[in-house]
Amino acid sequence: MLIQFVLIAVLLIALFVTWKRAGQRVVTVREALGWSLLWVGAAVGIAMPWTTTLVANFFGVGRGSDFVLYGSVMLLFVLVFKLFVAFEKQERKLTELVRRDALKDLKKS
Amino acid sequence: MKVLAVIPAFNEASRIATTISAVRPLVDGIVVVDDGSGDRTADAVPAQQGVTVLRHELNRGQGAALRTGTEAALILGADVIVHVDADGQHDPSFIPSLVKPIADDAADVVFGSRFLGEVPEGIPLFRRVLLHAARTFNVMAMGIPRRVTDPQSGMRALSAKAAREIDFVQDRMAHCSEILRRVTRSSLRWVEVPVRIRYTAESLAKGQKSTDALKIAWQLFIGVFAD
Repeated sequence: MLIQFVLIAVLLIALFVTWKRAGQRVVTVREALGWSLLWVGAAVGIAMPWTTTLVANFFGVGRGSDFVLYGSVMLLFVLVFKLFVAFEKQERKLTELVRRDALKDLKKS
Repeated sequence: MKVLAVIPAFNEASRIATTISAVRPLVDGIVVVDDGSGDRTADAVPAQQGVTVLRHELNRGQGAALRTGTEAALILGADVIVHVDADGQHDPSFIPSLVKPIADDAADVVFGSRFLGEVPEGIPLFRRVLLHAARTFNVMAMGIPRRVTDPQSGMRALSAKAAREIDFVQDRMAHCSEILRRVTRSSLRWVEVPVRIRYTAESLAKGQKSTDALKIAWQLFIGVFAD
């Protein structure tokens, strides 16, 4: 089916870019392996959809595509949460910077 | 014993002078932190002996401004640091009773409470209900003892030792609960004294909105993971 070819082509590009970046040392080899696992896993699920049903049944979910959907939602939750935390850390650094600037003259005198 | 008041101010150009003249006779000095105001709040502070004005170039929130002011007060050699709001909600006449337990060496931290006898002026019923809910939240989610009667009191006094020890990092409104938690879980001695809060139409309009309760809970939650 066309959608399978398109998605797998995208994943192959992702895999290629991941290792290109690893070669440029932008990401570590460990990170690249992690991403590769995700891309290959997704490609397997797309090429052979029955494999997702196998995993879904193991977790007690009836259909593979449902399982992928639930998983994606959960993954998104985690990612958004991490983003919030990272943002809060940035905010605190910004505050520290603003504070240092405000106290600068006081420390001199 | 050097008592310094810390007044964080955000867009308070119209009220800051009144607050300062009310607070000044009761303390040895004042640190005003203009929290990135757009209305030239810093310029509205009258040049006066013992009044130090600091400015945050960007608005970082009340908690952040208090922290900056507290650190400044320590640099200026304060023995006792009193936190007072700029908008006139906090009745300055209670400053001496906030300072007294520290001066008597009976406490390291003194919290002003709205619910210890002094009748708050003009407190809306819904606000009162919300504060009760906040107290329960503090007990259950934050582990702050139920002995604390006012969950969102912004008027407090710290000894220099306490000010150095309490590492509060919440930039916005959640600093009240955060300071309560850090103090009640430390070995510092703390006590609550009655204060009077004046609710005016103006301060209600600018101050915390009731929906901010959810924001505070969220900030505290995220804050746990950002530490």
